Amino acid sequence: MPRPAHPARLGAVLVLLATFGCTTPATTTRRSSLMAYLYPKEKAAPAPNPTGARLKLPLRLGIAFVPGGTASWRVQNLLGPGEEKPLLDVVKRSFKDRPWVGEIKLIPSAYLRAGGGFDNLDQVARMYGVDVVALVSVDQIQYTDPKWYSFTYLSIVGAYVLPGDANDTRTLIDAAVYDVPTRTFLLRAPGQSEVKGSSTWAHREVQLRAHSQKGLELAMADLSKNLDAEVAAFKAEVASGERRDVDVVDRKGVSLRESGGRNFGGALGWPEALAALLILAAGLRMRRA
Amino acid sequence: MDPWALTADALREPWRLWTGHLAHYGWGHALANAVALLVPLVLLPPRERRRAALALLALAPALSLAILPGLGAGEYRGASGLACALWALAGLHLAGRRESAAVGLLMLAGLGIKLAAEAVLGAGFLLRAEGWQTMPAAHLWGTALGLGWALPGSLRRRPA
Repeated sequence: MPRPAHPARLGAVLVLLATFGCTTPATTTRRSSLMAYLYPKEKAAPAPNPTGARLKLPLRLGIAFVPGGTASWRVQNLLGPGEEKPLLDVVKRSFKDRPWVGEIKLIPSAYLRAGGGFDNLDQVARMYGVDVVALVSVDQIQYTDPKWYSFTYLSIVGAYVLPGDANDTRTLIDAAVYDVPTRTFLLRAPGQSEVKGSSTWAHREVQLRAHSQKGLELAMADLSKNLDAEVAAFKAEVASGERRDVDVVDRKGVSLRESGGRNFGGALGWPEALAALLILAAGLRMRRA
Repeated sequence: MDPWALTADALREPWRLWTGHLAHYGWGHALANAVALLVPLVLLPPRERRRAALALLALAPALSLAILPGLGAGEYRGASGLACALWALAGLHLAGRRESAAVGLLMLAGLGIKLAAEAVLGAGFLLRAEGWQTMPAAHLWGTALGLGWALPGSLRRRPA
């Protein structure tokens, strides 16, 4: 006659199942560092030109992804073929309508050498005929945490049917704009995103790759918005003379630093124009009454 | 330098006294000012509308001469100084008539709030990202000139 299962043994088996059946939390990090690219030698970081940058409008602007670690984004398989351009296009669009930007070139990340520094940036800027380069660095972390019922993966069927993995992708993008000839830092803007989802064990990698791409797209869109505000603030700072290391010379050769504080306009804002229209509507209504 | 903007060159090139109010820094700038100019013109009765338009022709150089000393080596573009003059002029005219007194007072109050906001909020509020800044003095002078133009007529209309 078979012996009945001891409750303590049964409990131990369930605990073992729960412990080893569940997937363990996993973290994947993809990172490209602007500092590692531009200043690879800590003690020999090139100093910016003491005379500062004199930007001549219209600007010729280049945009590129900073290489990550020891290789480019593409080589690390962080971005598939054809994925880099649409992402950089988001940044390009935020500059496109600016009258002070003449042309915008998308620089393939394959042309940037890991740890290449300003020497490499000089080469690429000359090659593309640009003076100012926006360097985009990315920090992406993907977390996978098991849900309580992920022990069902042990049944094999569960691994294909039940979404027992909670996936969380956090992306932080940073665009730093440099005047290459003088090695002067001009401005920076951040962009961030968070993408959450659940997947089965079998579908986990597919979802993480999709979230990685989506996270980059959302962060780029956020970056584009922030970049707009940062560029406006940058111009205001130059015009008011707060940025002593940078001057902008317009198409007519007039320095923004010299003229910016003294160019005046008689202006009404849109809220005021709206208020004026409301008064007009009220006036017309009263006239009819 | 722009040949239409108001600069110190206006003393040699007098057309700038008028064209400075027509030149703008962009379409957005011009459109907002055009709205501000149109509102009082629409609210005024047709006969007064013609008079107001003629008054603007005379007020434009006066306003330019008033703000010129404050420009230094810089330039001025925009019609909002003139728009303030027109709001003051039309507001006073409409406020003096029983049937349109409420609208006139509303216009004068709106103008007063704008001038007060500019005085209180200062340079941070006035500096535009495109590299120029709003000149509150133009609005103040415009308002003063508009009131000065309309006041004699307004007093004449009042019964003794």
